[in-house]
This record gives sequence, structure tokens and C-alpha cells, in this order.
Amino acid sequence: MTAQTVTGAAVAGVGVLVCVVASIGALVARDLLDRLHFLAPVTSLGVPLIGLGLAVDTGWHLTTMEILLTVGVVAVTGPVLAAATGRAAAEQRGLIPAESPE
Amino acid sequence: MSFWPIASLVLMVGALAPAVGLGLRGGPLDRLVGLQLSGVVLVPVLLLLAHGYAQSAYVMVALVLAVLSFAGVLVFLRLLETRR
Repeated sequence: MTAQTVTGAAVAGVGVLVCVVASIGALVARDLLDRLHFLAPVTSLGVPLIGLGLAVDTGWHLTTMEILLTVGVVAVTGPVLAAATGRAAAEQRGLIPAESPE
Repeated sequence: MSFWPIASLVLMVGALAPAVGLGLRGGPLDRLVGLQLSGVVLVPVLLLLAHGYAQSAYVMVALVLAVLSFAGVLVFLRLLETRR
């Protein structure tokens, strides 16, 4: 087992741990907006760490670029979806006006 | 068994199962958060499986899921907004 594999596995392991803890937190949270907060660690930390670990283990390869692109898509789209869901929840509760800003 | 399939299994049991459970209860928006979390967690599961079984062509499946999951949740959000 090379140092590259051990490093990649360690980084990916931390990412897996972040995803598991955040998912259980989202399941335990009672309020919708509290649940949304638990999405951020998964999309912004957990998934990129797993992708980084896989990239380190794979080395410089075309697949590495594909893995990094995939986790990049998740990291960019995750906060967008969380913001849109939060806005829909706030509209539903009457906290903000229903018409969207345009 | 190498580290990567085990990590994938841990992710499926520890993160995907709670996300699916979240999608099975509560109101429409609560369920949507469960769907969103399921999609986000399934992407690294597929990446880890593709890497663990040395099938690099299947990384494309995870990439397509990441894009379609984003579009799908946006469509559901739009439908929930127009339903009110």
C-alpha cells in the first residue's frame, strides 16, 4: 500500500464521516430550515473531500478530471438548491412575499 | 475487500439510508430535502464504487446524476411553488 493510497483513503474517509454525521443530523433535526443547514457540510465539505481522496489515489489521469468535475458540480449546485428550498420554505411560512424578485 | 467499497457501504448505510428516511416523512418540502440529500450522497457512493471496482467509465454515471439531480430538485421546487 503506497503513501498515495493511504493519503487518499484518509481524506476520503474524513469526507465519508462528514457525510454520515451530517445526514444523521438532518434526520434528527425537527425543523425544515434546521435540516437545510445539514446539507451544507455534505455538499461543501464531505463530497469534495471524497473526490479529493479519490483524485489523490487515482493520480494524474483523465478520470481524475472527471471526478473533480463531478464533485465540482455538486459543490456549486448544492448551495443553490439549499437557497432555493429555503426561499420556498420561507414563502410557505409567510416570512417573505410570495412573488420572486426579478 | 479494499477500502473503497467499504467506504461506499458505510456511506450507503450511514448517509443514504437516513436521507431516504427523510424523504419518506413530513411535508412536501421536508421530503424534497430528503430527495436532495439522497441525490447528493448517491454521487460519492457511485464514485467510490466505480473506483473500488476499477470501472472508471462509470464515473460518468455519477456526473450525469449530479447534473440531473440538480435539475430534478429545481423542477420539484417549481411545481411545489405553483401548487400553492
